[in-house]
Amino acid sequence: MVETATRSDLNTTQDREMPRYSTLIAKMANSFLYRHTLGAAVETRMGRVALLAGLPLIWIVALNLGPIYQMLKISFLSNYPVMPGDKSEFTLENYIVFFQEPIFFLPLIRSFVFATATTMVTLIVVYPVAYYVAKVVRPSGRPRALLLLLVPFWAGEIIRTFSVIMLLSNRGAINVLLRDIGLIDRPIPMLYTPFSLGFGLIYLICLYMLLPLYSAIEKIPSSLLDASADLGAGPLTRFRRIILPLSKDGIVSGCALVFLTCIGVFATLMLLGGPNTVLFPETISSFFHGASNKWPVGAAFAMIMLTTALIAAGLFVRLVGGKKGSTF
Amino acid sequence: MRNLVPDFPRAALTAFYWAFLFYLLLPLTLMMALSFKDANFVSFPIGNLTLDWYAKVIQDKQFLEACLYSIGIAAASTLAATIIGTWIAMLIVAEGIRWQVVIFALAVLPAVVPGMISAISLRIFISTIDMPTGTGAIILGHTVHSVPFVVVMALTRLRSMPKNMVDAARDLGADNIVAFLRVTLPYLAPALFGGMMFCVLLSIDDFVRTFFLGGYRATLPMLIFAKVQGGMSPEINAMATLVLVVTTSFGLYAEFITRRARTR
Amino acid sequence: MDPIVTFENVTKSYGTFLAVEDLNLEIERGKFVTLLGPSGCGKSTTLRMLGGFEVPNSGRIMLSGKDVTRVPPNKRNVNIVFQDYALFPHLSVARNIAFGLELKGHDKKQIHRRVSELLELVQLQEFAHRIPAELSGGQRQRVALMRALAPDPDVLLLDEPLSALDAKLRQQMQMELKSIQKTTGKTFLFVTHDQEEALTMSDQIVVMNKGKIEQMGDPTALYSQPSSTFVANFIGETNLLRSKVQSVNGDLTAVDWQGITVKAGPGALLPQPGDSINVVLRPESIKCSLSEPSTTNKAKGRIRQRVFKGNHTSLMIEVANGAVLNALVHPSDIAQIGDQDIWVGWNTDSTTLIPDKHAAE
Repeated sequence: MVETATRSDLNTTQDREMPRYSTLIAKMANSFLYRHTLGAAVETRMGRVALLAGLPLIWIVALNLGPIYQMLKISFLSNYPVMPGDKSEFTLENYIVFFQEPIFFLPLIRSFVFATATTMVTLIVVYPVAYYVAKVVRPSGRPRALLLLLVPFWAGEIIRTFSVIMLLSNRGAINVLLRDIGLIDRPIPMLYTPFSLGFGLIYLICLYMLLPLYSAIEKIPSSLLDASADLGAGPLTRFRRIILPLSKDGIVSGCALVFLTCIGVFATLMLLGGPNTVLFPETISSFFHGASNKWPVGAAFAMIMLTTALIAAGLFVRLVGGKKGSTF
Repeated sequence: MRNLVPDFPRAALTAFYWAFLFYLLLPLTLMMALSFKDANFVSFPIGNLTLDWYAKVIQDKQFLEACLYSIGIAAASTLAATIIGTWIAMLIVAEGIRWQVVIFALAVLPAVVPGMISAISLRIFISTIDMPTGTGAIILGHTVHSVPFVVVMALTRLRSMPKNMVDAARDLGADNIVAFLRVTLPYLAPALFGGMMFCVLLSIDDFVRTFFLGGYRATLPMLIFAKVQGGMSPEINAMATLVLVVTTSFGLYAEFITRRARTR
Repeated sequence: MDPIVTFENVTKSYGTFLAVEDLNLEIERGKFVTLLGPSGCGKSTTLRMLGGFEVPNSGRIMLSGKDVTRVPPNKRNVNIVFQDYALFPHLSVARNIAFGLELKGHDKKQIHRRVSELLELVQLQEFAHRIPAELSGGQRQRVALMRALAPDPDVLLLDEPLSALDAKLRQQMQMELKSIQKTTGKTFLFVTHDQEEALTMSDQIVVMNKGKIEQMGDPTALYSQPSSTFVANFIGETNLLRSKVQSVNGDLTAVDWQGITVKAGPGALLPQPGDSINVVLRPESIKCSLSEPSTTNKAKGRIRQRVFKGNHTSLMIEVANGAVLNALVHPSDIAQIGDQDIWVGWNTDSTTLIPDKHAAE
């Protein structure tokens, strides 16, 4: 009896406590202004399409395509920005000069070598890590295992690059350690060399590989692995015949992402690169800053880099992916 | 005894994971450690410890200004990117819209264009529309860069939304706008929140776009970059450590919030 | 009669697929009407057209005397209970139910009164502050129902709302739906592919097939007097005796069922001697006995298979002419019968005649 009484008391208090009904949006929708503007527009097909597609299409065309279009246009001009009294004419000179001078095309080749090498090393190093988190760690522990790996990602490009200097500089951790255990007498110069640049790039970019790989490997049903083990497949066979093919999507998109990011890295290049490691972004940048302020050449070089990088990534996705795949 | 063999890859993988984590965290740890060094040069061994560098940094007007500037730019570009990205995602999932694949590909284009190219093309673009370099240009550049990430996150969430929910709202008297505000937007909220956090970090970290689009005021990465090029000092370590701690806790918090929202 | 909903020559196609073809249908005010048919028969399209989510290619839909053919869903006074309920996951039970009222611009006190009233109707007062994820399937179903009823629609549309529930809960909800319809006096238009559900709840059943109305009427009439093989097969279990008409004598038709002469009751058609025809014989009308029965029709046969189902036993009987009949009998009625020859018998008034489609074509 007592129980029922308290329970019904509870009900009435709950009844009295009125939920927070919201009439604000209804008031807006019923207002004169709304009904004769947006409200009227959204009831017609034309109005709906305009509301839905207007801003997105303008944005995409103006700001996703616009800059690249302008860059393409300027790359064919003899002169830009055009000063009063100057003339600007159509020319192919900006492209031709690229192929004539080794100081122009060598950095691009170097960029591709660095990006390819970084991508490969990153893939080999990160794959086991992604596999470990996706398949060896218990499902409940996975978020934590992933989160630990993501911590450096939040540090940002400059800080991560800066921290690499702490490791590699002449009085950095590695040199001091080697000297203390007596392996070397004078520090090995590591900064501003291809080594420091490669090390920095890998350190900067390896996490872009982790997430695509992780999500691809995680999707492979564990039962498949158990089944193949049951059929007598050893760890290597299982890896080659099941895990590798089934994680191909992740490998392809991870590699494409790392490659494209790596090609466009700028700050790390400036901080860790040296005179022997001039990469293409530095070349391009020199046309926009500094003495040779020649935008059209810079634009032409940027176009060359964009098309070659996208073609390389696209070819890779096509060939390895085997089917039309997007990088996402 | 037989278990020893299958367990070998497992143990090796575990060891490799921890080694990799060590590799990831070592440089950052060294950087943080050196921020406490009681000397004017950055080198090992650390020797005496001090908090002087931190005291110096938090009194550094340049640093504080850069912080505020970065935060302002991040807030503005994130807000803009969230609105535009959600709008684009709504267009892509809408019924009766053709070329959805093309729209999607174009919408995420800035995420696959290498950062350097993106920065250069934006620099050229703002000059062709007579826009000056500076705050506005940086915000525009960061927004362009952030939109694709919002689009992808919003799309993922929208595709998991039961189609009937909007129909139900329409059925109960909501027009398309009201249905969006009262049903779709609340449904999207967790994904958008995650996307916004990501955009903030993206904007605060960005160097290359800011470098080409910026004026004389320095954002945080620009300031640190300039200081690093100017010469090493534990002061930079202290500054970087402060930024690292703040962005990392922000990232962890965002991760925590989105994870909680996803399980609900 | 004052129909609340009228479909006039409504046709809807998707590309080359004709979902609904020249539909004419009147729905009476205050009735529980069911659209019944297999998937793809056009019943859901019909419902969505009335809800405003599909616009017919031609024809007219009238609601309470007004042409609503092209009126958008938010501007017409009908509400839908969706198959997956489509409850708003971010709103509490009370706010889900209040959704339509909020949009109508009622003030908060009014809204609260109406919501409390509806929650009481389905005894969910205690759950007012919960979100849908914290409710059971049956409770969600009730919330969806109340949400649709809250704005006081002219017609309530229900799109297979019970299909997600388990069998026991479904039966309970059938009763509840029927009683809510009675108490509120609302017109319910219910869509289902489940004939049992339709028979249990409806005042009127509209059987649809391939975009057209096959037959409509109250459940008893549909069950006992199907007008086509499709309806006979779709509603309940049935034996179809393919026969030739021998003679017609008033309401009584004598037919030849593969060698056995059977007398059959009236149907919706006027048969001529020589016509191919189907006699509909429901399994529960068949009686089995060891001695010759006194029924109008009888035949010798043998039980080939028996399946005990608790309150009845389902039999497969091979009749002397080689045909097989399904019969439902009370278990005690056949307790003495083994593998020996038996008699099966049925009365004329439990049969009906329908045209043999295959012969007609």
